[in-house]
Amino acid sequence: MAVAISVARVWGPRRGLGQATLLLLRQPMARGLARFHPPRQQQQQQQFSSLDDKPQFPGASAEFVDKLEFIQPNVISGIPIYRVMDRQGQIINPSEDPNLPQEKVLKFYRSMTLLNTMDRILYESQRQGRISFYMTNYGEEGTHVGSAAALDSTDLVFGQYREAGVLMYRDYPLELFMAQCYGNVSDPGKGRQMPVHYGCNERHFVTISSPLATQIPQAVGAAYAAKRANANRVVICYFGEGAASEGDAHAGFNFAATLECPIIFFCRNNGYAISTPTSEQYRGDGIAARGPGYGIMSIRVDGNDVFAVYNATKEARRRAVAENQPFLIEAMTYRIGHHSTSDDSSAYRSVDEVNYWDKQDHPISRLRLYLLSRGWWDEEQEKAWRKQSRKKVMEAFEQAERKPKPSPYLLFSDVYQEMPTQLRKQQESLARHLQTYGEHYPLDHFDKQLHLGGHVCSSC
Amino acid sequence: MAVVAVAAGRLLRLRAAAAEGRWHRWRGDAVARSFLQPASARKDAAQLRQVAHFTFQPDPESHEYGQTQKMNLFQSITSALDNSLAKDPTAVIFGEDVAFGGVFRCTVGLRDKYGKDRVFNTPLCEQGIVGFGIGLAVTGATAIAEIQFADYIFPAFDQIVNEAAKYRYRSGDLFNCGSLTIRAPWGCVGHGALYHSQSPEAFFAHCPGIKVVIPRSPFQAKGLLLSCIEDKNPCIFFEPKILYRAAVEQVPVEPYNIPLSQAEVIQEGSDVTLVAWGTQVHVIREVASMAQEKLGVSCEVIDLKTIIPWDVDTVCKSVIKTGRLLISHEAPLTGGFASEISSTVQRWFFLLLLLKQHLQGWGCGSSGSALAWHACGPGSILSTTYQQRCCVRRELKSKY
Repeated sequence: MAVAISVARVWGPRRGLGQATLLLLRQPMARGLARFHPPRQQQQQQQFSSLDDKPQFPGASAEFVDKLEFIQPNVISGIPIYRVMDRQGQIINPSEDPNLPQEKVLKFYRSMTLLNTMDRILYESQRQGRISFYMTNYGEEGTHVGSAAALDSTDLVFGQYREAGVLMYRDYPLELFMAQCYGNVSDPGKGRQMPVHYGCNERHFVTISSPLATQIPQAVGAAYAAKRANANRVVICYFGEGAASEGDAHAGFNFAATLECPIIFFCRNNGYAISTPTSEQYRGDGIAARGPGYGIMSIRVDGNDVFAVYNATKEARRRAVAENQPFLIEAMTYRIGHHSTSDDSSAYRSVDEVNYWDKQDHPISRLRLYLLSRGWWDEEQEKAWRKQSRKKVMEAFEQAERKPKPSPYLLFSDVYQEMPTQLRKQQESLARHLQTYGEHYPLDHFDKQLHLGGHVCSSC
Repeated sequence: MAVVAVAAGRLLRLRAAAAEGRWHRWRGDAVARSFLQPASARKDAAQLRQVAHFTFQPDPESHEYGQTQKMNLFQSITSALDNSLAKDPTAVIFGEDVAFGGVFRCTVGLRDKYGKDRVFNTPLCEQGIVGFGIGLAVTGATAIAEIQFADYIFPAFDQIVNEAAKYRYRSGDLFNCGSLTIRAPWGCVGHGALYHSQSPEAFFAHCPGIKVVIPRSPFQAKGLLLSCIEDKNPCIFFEPKILYRAAVEQVPVEPYNIPLSQAEVIQEGSDVTLVAWGTQVHVIREVASMAQEKLGVSCEVIDLKTIIPWDVDTVCKSVIKTGRLLISHEAPLTGGFASEISSTVQRWFFLLLLLKQHLQGWGCGSSGSALAWHACGPGSILSTTYQQRCCVRRELKSKY
């Protein structure tokens, strides 16, 4: 009897169908399909018994307790923050030093600073009316580069909108960053989206979309496909602490855990969702504390410490692929810039607060201090690099400005893989309209396309 | 003593009978009668719960696709899914309760046949189901998602409209989720009330980038579902739940495709065009035969099948012939898909009328609808010259 009960407990959480349902399902079926297998279902049924006074509930594996006590959420001393370097760029515990080669660490530094330079110039260009909109990455460069460096180049990336450093690390050309922001004829996205909505299939960076957190369950689906394909690939999904409040985030976490997907959930907790501080975003211990609630391995790291981010992502990647389970990394950081060019953050936070992070705890500064202390960088190289990076960015910027916009007829293609008849008619209608009234439109700024494009479906 | 008792008893019975009579007269005889009599004896048979408001009309057996087998609607769906999983190793089916066979038994046997990594339950979360499906499809795998009832598709509305529909367009065709198909039971079943009866196709009709398909029968369902699964655009396939058991037909065992965005004239006629989709096709077929019998009206019946992108040409061609259009759907009237069809047809015919007058003015004569059709066919009516357009515009101005 005791053996039977212990065997039943081994089978534990998985519950088969009851006898009654077995009978209900034994119905005539179309030939050619597999028949129902009663033995397997019965195997999974637990032997219920009240002889042993242990909980039998299928919903939880737990002991009884006879003291009424609510669990208190612990926000005073929350999940600790893993870091490798202190704020002066010194390694705290040498055994945690990833000991990366000089070239690699220099690539970290160059990616972060090039991103910073590009951000400054493109932010300015919006202010001058050259592009319509921009979002900077100030203060979060460490989260992008540390995590990107820990992945394989073929790992699929689903981002939110503040992860340009991941693309930068994967050597996405400045020309294409600019092309998307300008929406010019070189934009692989064909000029259809607002600036900073980058995408690159060669670099496995899925095109950004504006709705928040929608990428989270999608990333889980992609990870499931990678698992089925035995691809040894992980999917990484970035989102902010604000987006983590969306229902899609809950959906994504739950699906990843129940369906055992090799995915890294990377939350950039930067303190603000536009003007909403974290105190108004959640009451629990951040995002990391939610992971265990879903059955997900979780960690909180110092997002301004590029080595901490690197180490955590590296280990999460290794285990996610090996064990087919999700990992949650909450990278604590600070959004130094405004939410976007449409925002003025002095309306809701003090300049002193921003200055603290800019001066005292910046991922680029900390890495620079590390490089200096290793003797891998110096003031001269710094000056030269600043000049060179600025020059590269300015050249790409000037080129992007000069290029025309994509043809207006591209408004109608790619809605479907083939262009349905009704859309083709709308496209032709636009063509006729422009023939008559073209002078009222700035057609000189647009690519001249002589034929109406798009594969036309003859059966639609 | 006994005599007194008997007399008292008789008196009590008489009084009771009188009281009963008064009670009957007060309440009304009909109520009393129906209360006391068995259901089968009732004259008003409408009190009985109706099983269905229509009769399913199977199509003649098709010999085009090989051996057929008698299947109802849910079995034809299972057959389509079975065919898909057999030939496409990346294909997976997921949703609530699909593992044991599904609440409508559309996935019975598939998990045992293809494995638990290919036919699996998800947590109870429609936005997660569709989001997950989009992600699968982005990698190129074939994702077949089930939403348990179309009434519950709304949590997934954002993922469908803002994500799935726009994936290819917004990325400049760098990424797409074309290999996603979402299936959901749809439409009236009699007892479903507000939340097991909805026909939400009109919400999705307003969303370029997705396809919405609704079959009328098991044979149509299998062919259309296979086309949706193979289509390179995200598709929503609504399955009329009242037909799951009620519709039985001979359906080919092997896979076959019925093209999307092609409406079917299932009965030719000359006086009025009737358009419907799903269950309502069978209703309007009955209407057509009643109209013929009782009113001598010859109806042309069209099954639209694909709601978006819809087959404008077939409907317009039919209305040219008949001159009258009637559209019938279960969904609410305001903003229902009938309004899109009727406004498109009316716009088209308004232009046709004006152009016909104009062409007659130019001496094309009233050689009638054949010439008008050629001159005003979908291509040419919309590629008239500048001068002709001016004339049409002048006509419009003069009329308003």
